[in-house]
Amino acid sequence: MYKIMMFTGGVYRFNELKELVEDIGGFVLQEMVMQTETMMHLAFPEEEERKIRAKATDLGGKLKELPLAGAEVMVVVPSLGKHHAVYPMCDIAEFLRRTGAITNMMGLARGVGKRIAQMTTQEKAIIEECDAAVFVFGDFKECIEEKAVKLCEMMEVPYMIVGGPPDLDLEHYVGGVGRKTDRMKRKAEIDKLEEMTTEFEQVLDDKRKEIEEDPLAASPLFIKEMIEMVLPPKAGEELPIVIHLDGLRVKIEEEDEERIKDIEIGERKLSEICEIKKSLYEGYLLKILTEAETGSVF
Amino acid sequence: MEVKVEGGEEFANKSYEKICQDTFRDVGVRSSLDYAYMYCNPKEYVFIIAVKIGRVPSPVKIGDVTLRAGKDELKITEERHAPRLLAMLWDKYGERVQQRARLVVGLELEEEEVERLKDLIVYDPREDLVLRILDGIDRILPEGARVRTSIPSTAANIITIIASENPIGVEWEKKAEKMIGEVKGHV
Repeated sequence: MYKIMMFTGGVYRFNELKELVEDIGGFVLQEMVMQTETMMHLAFPEEEERKIRAKATDLGGKLKELPLAGAEVMVVVPSLGKHHAVYPMCDIAEFLRRTGAITNMMGLARGVGKRIAQMTTQEKAIIEECDAAVFVFGDFKECIEEKAVKLCEMMEVPYMIVGGPPDLDLEHYVGGVGRKTDRMKRKAEIDKLEEMTTEFEQVLDDKRKEIEEDPLAASPLFIKEMIEMVLPPKAGEELPIVIHLDGLRVKIEEEDEERIKDIEIGERKLSEICEIKKSLYEGYLLKILTEAETGSVF
Repeated sequence: MEVKVEGGEEFANKSYEKICQDTFRDVGVRSSLDYAYMYCNPKEYVFIIAVKIGRVPSPVKIGDVTLRAGKDELKITEERHAPRLLAMLWDKYGERVQQRARLVVGLELEEEEVERLKDLIVYDPREDLVLRILDGIDRILPEGARVRTSIPSTAANIITIIASENPIGVEWEKKAEKMIGEVKGHV
């Protein structure tokens, strides 16, 4: 299993860290150089953590764990009106990003109200393209209980509900947030956001365990590396490949679809070990099949 | 402005109190309101809000937001009134008024015209007060409660809106009238 961490530090000798990661069979997922500062998301085999830590200390940088890394999350609100956006949805998304997740935001077309709240099949399909979803609801207990049944329970991906009332008997529910009119910047509010990310880690851990029990044919990180060798990211393009727990979202042009299918992963072609379909939202979705289905790729 | 919210659970009431305060501040009417009374019934999905308009700031005159700088110049002291003020002067005097710098207005007017000009009203807060209050109320009431009705009150300074996602029954109109009574009596 790979461990994903964030390195922050100076640019001096930071290439050495990159080389070390590559030598031990890891990957650099994201890299950002801001004048004299660097930020990198690194993925490396768990057992090599000591080596990486030693190198980071040697370079005078910092390493931070990213418990939600490798997951794409959809933050869903009942609408994009003033009532639900931008607070608290942006604070929630920001805290998920700080712990490594890639976030998308979505306002439902007809998600407002209690009796009239609904979700279209297309919206459901778009949410299910991601690894997990966070539903952000308002202040009223009755509304949240009804919406949990109408909107959340039919989801086939793990989800968490964030709402107002502090105690509600719902699975993966974090209360005490509700409707906000300003940024969540006070100590108690930041603690609440941290509590929320911890709860969300558990939601994702369940899915991770499920995948570990029936391992994938190849790691999404490895497939990302192989795709980038054939289709290098264009300059200025942000996150052309997003990693999921059990696949990838690849943002490519339609004419590159055939090229992607023929990429060699070990002794197999990508199309043999992945289900490739066009995303309803952005790019192409690659769902990696399990090793039990495809056999070993090496 | 005093706010009272009732009907929901403790957390919801507190949260809506803050939403009322912040939203009315955002639309710039908090100082013009005396009292806001909100009733939430999430079970039946009915929300009623009644606000009492208090003292509204007096109209802003040109003399209040400008200073005479020399014989033929006015200096605007409050920039937020500048566009409205310039538009008004251009409308009235045409090319005899020029904008010499961002906040400097040049005048080619007779002395008595300049004196008279100082009493012209740039902005009257009463003009769009109700509109701004209604905008605030719209931002406060839950988005799903799209069926709305207003209750006219004999006192002209109370605005009451009932909102729900279902048809609004007579009982809620009666409840709103009761609330108007309380708001009227509030000192």
